[in-house]
Amino acid sequence: MGKYILKRCGYIVLVFMIVSFLMFSLYNLIPSDPARAELEPMRQSFKNPAEYEARYQALREEMGLNDPLVVRYLRWMGLWTDTDGKSFNGLLEGNFGYSNYYKRNVIDVIVDPMSNTIFINIFSTIAALGITIPLGIFCAVRKNGKFDQTTQVVTMLGYSIPVYIIALVFMFIFCIVFRIFPVMGIKTAGATYASGWDEFVDKLYHITLPVIVMTFGSLGGMTRYVRSAMIESLSMDYIRTARAKGLREKVVIYSHAWRNALLPIITSILGWFLSIFSGSVVIENTFGLSGMGRLYWIGLNNNDFELVLAIQMFYSIVSLVGALLIDISYGLVDPRVRVDK
Amino acid sequence: MASKKKGFFLFRWIKRMFLGNHNEVVDLLQEEQMQTPFKTMAKKFLKKKTVIFALTVFVLIFAFVLIGPYYWKLDLSEQDSTLTNLPPGYNMMAVPKEMKGNAVDIAPGGTFGFGIDGNGKIHSWGTTRITEKIDVADIPEEVLNAKITKIAAGFDHMVALGDDGQLYVWGNTRLQQGNFTSDMKKDQKDGWNIIQLEASTQFSAIVTDEGNLYLWGNKNQNDINVTKKYQGKIAKVALTANHYVSLMKDGTVVYTGSKGKGNPLASVPKALKGKTVVDIAATSSAVAALTDNGEVYVWGTTVRGEGEVPEFSVPVKGIYGGRYHFTALLEDNSVVSWGNNKYGQTNVPEKLLQGEEEIASVYVGNHQNYAITTDGDVHTWGLKGFLLGTDDLGRDMLTRIVNGGQVTMTVGAISVVIATVIGVLLGGLAGYFGGKVDLLIMRISEIVGGLPFIPFAMILSAVIGSRLDANQKMYLIMVVLGVLSWTGTCRLVRAQILAQREMEYVTAAKAMGIKEKVIVFRHILPNVFSLLLVSMTLDFATCMLTESTLSYLGFGIPLPQPTWGNLLDGANNSVVIQQYWWRWVFPAAIFGLCTVCINMIGDGLRDAVDPKSNER
Repeated sequence: MGKYILKRCGYIVLVFMIVSFLMFSLYNLIPSDPARAELEPMRQSFKNPAEYEARYQALREEMGLNDPLVVRYLRWMGLWTDTDGKSFNGLLEGNFGYSNYYKRNVIDVIVDPMSNTIFINIFSTIAALGITIPLGIFCAVRKNGKFDQTTQVVTMLGYSIPVYIIALVFMFIFCIVFRIFPVMGIKTAGATYASGWDEFVDKLYHITLPVIVMTFGSLGGMTRYVRSAMIESLSMDYIRTARAKGLREKVVIYSHAWRNALLPIITSILGWFLSIFSGSVVIENTFGLSGMGRLYWIGLNNNDFELVLAIQMFYSIVSLVGALLIDISYGLVDPRVRVDK
Repeated sequence: MASKKKGFFLFRWIKRMFLGNHNEVVDLLQEEQMQTPFKTMAKKFLKKKTVIFALTVFVLIFAFVLIGPYYWKLDLSEQDSTLTNLPPGYNMMAVPKEMKGNAVDIAPGGTFGFGIDGNGKIHSWGTTRITEKIDVADIPEEVLNAKITKIAAGFDHMVALGDDGQLYVWGNTRLQQGNFTSDMKKDQKDGWNIIQLEASTQFSAIVTDEGNLYLWGNKNQNDINVTKKYQGKIAKVALTANHYVSLMKDGTVVYTGSKGKGNPLASVPKALKGKTVVDIAATSSAVAALTDNGEVYVWGTTVRGEGEVPEFSVPVKGIYGGRYHFTALLEDNSVVSWGNNKYGQTNVPEKLLQGEEEIASVYVGNHQNYAITTDGDVHTWGLKGFLLGTDDLGRDMLTRIVNGGQVTMTVGAISVVIATVIGVLLGGLAGYFGGKVDLLIMRISEIVGGLPFIPFAMILSAVIGSRLDANQKMYLIMVVLGVLSWTGTCRLVRAQILAQREMEYVTAAKAMGIKEKVIVFRHILPNVFSLLLVSMTLDFATCMLTESTLSYLGFGIPLPQPTWGNLLDGANNSVVIQQYWWRWVFPAAIFGLCTVCINMIGDGLRDAVDPKSNER
């Protein structure tokens, strides 16, 4: 097992390097010149064009813009010495770059939205898992019943209709017809809180509708998946044996069938786990929540590429580590699957 | 449901008692009849009613968006500030019954109409709610109590004249539409007799029988000054969108305002010199003059065909101007319209064109025309309204939905084809070569499939698309979607090839000495095709969803080119959701319906192709 994890970690590093290099070179396709951008406002202070040009070239050298792409990439990663030739100062040293739009270091910009996103996603993950798994099991046990057929139709709607349309419909129902939730934002504008608890409650109140929409959007695929996995395992011979032994139906379903249905479900949780990160781009934009997805959107819209690149790296790492975790949990859930071969 | 009950159970019992059971299979061969796998699939597929329903709806939507754009042509530069955010409906020329045969004056506005009947009562019809707060149908109490003789409609305000010479203004009055000038107040005290009342974009005008012209309203945007020397000589005024032109008592036409320098409206045609003008009319940017011998001259900005005056067989009696078109009443009572015909403004009814009706008066609004006959009938032609309303730039939602559907479906279809080609090729190679090639391809597909889709597509669209025009960006989106979504197909094809390799027919083919390459692409792939079809159908829905999501976020196909995604761009605020519901309900509904139908078809196909999945 340890060897396997080590091998996978090596694989992650390799893939991360490839992906990050591709992304970095993609960004270098954009015609931009930070040296000129920095020098342009001071143009008047130079006596003649030649002096300006000399200063410009010096600045380019100083910023390392004349180096080849690979060197610049390695420098950005923190594997090559910085322009002063001595220290390392890159991604691996914790320097995620400087956000041109926010005029702050990326690491400082990211902290707040990141906590918001995790806050929202924890709730929606718990809600979605808490609803879909019992629902899927119930539908599988009562296959082709009235309830099952209704659920099939509703879940079909859930995964066919884009999440922003679901969001608009829910906004209409909850914010305009019933006026229960606010339309936008993550906190009451201009509010000052008496205590941390009040702040927490206010935040909770604002994210309730996004969480509901997010949960509803992810219900469809997951419920169907749980249902089909359960049906598959309920049709196995060992279920018949268990029933023949006279075990209680509860034990048959939850102990014998459910455990065996878990494996394919875990596979699909991977895709779903990631879609919550990317899906939040849509939800956060629609509801105006300041999360990672919104930050990413703002960064892209304002050509703040160092910020975008950092978030993109975050997404890549999440997906790669997620894949590793799923593979490891395979072995834990199902001893038949030998992951360390 | 093979044992479908027929008739009342007693009858069935009796029938079976005497006649025997006919439900049994008579002929063994009949049941055992051979069918091609394709036939079996088709039969199974068509058995489900829901699938048939979904297929019908999808085919209808598909035909609608495929043929629709030829009928509802898209004009990307289209926008009209007078037609923004109109609700669905065809009520813009719905003259109330009480008005018929009893009309004194009609004031046609941009999207609404006001009329006075013989009893001095005001009626209104059409879309009178201009913005969230302004509704010109909220007529003030004092106006309802007064006896109104004349009424005029501006862009978002109304002006009415009482029989005592009192002027009333309501609607939008925040831009000084209701602030009368000091001259007017003074002259009104002395007593005046108003012969003409006009209103336009945020300003209004009156002409008195003494030949005085008074203008008031928004000074910043409009030319509402009158050059002193012309006062007392003016017979009639014609208002364009922001300017005006006057007809003098001596039969000449003069631009009497202060912004005449370089203004095409001020360059009155030389041909009019020496001729006596009896009537003038104005569109938003052009003026027409009618001479006493029945000739019509048009000048100003005439880019929308206002200048293409038709040949008249008889002299013209009167001319009237809309926003982009003119209407003329001829001596023989026939009516002719010319200019822009986007909303059918110039499609004069056949009866009026032939002069079969006795016309008493003609009123022309922005895009609407009203002709009142002497026996009280009201004939209308022009813009009735919009079936699905308009958006915030005054564009017809129906046109945009139809054209947006075409774009969304094209993009979805082409990206699925790209994804399938890549997937089949790589999957086939992986399954065929195995070993290192397989390992490499599967690793690549894992990486591509593992990356979060939407952010990655956004980044590609933003970085590569920054230098592309709208059309190139559409191709870019197709390629990006195709290149990012081939992994599922690739895995499917590979797994199927690995599974099919163990089949007897492949062993047989191998035994006959057929090459491995031929076996994979000629023997195995056709067997995978049905499964491929299922995955293509489901992918089609997914690609459409992704495209629309990207467009919704602003990283897909850029505005003004509509797609089902970017039609909903900007719909996520409470004002739009509540007040302008038609702007999001219709695109959302048709798109939702379409994707649900495609997914239902895909599920039905899968059930038909893979009988095992039926049990699930």
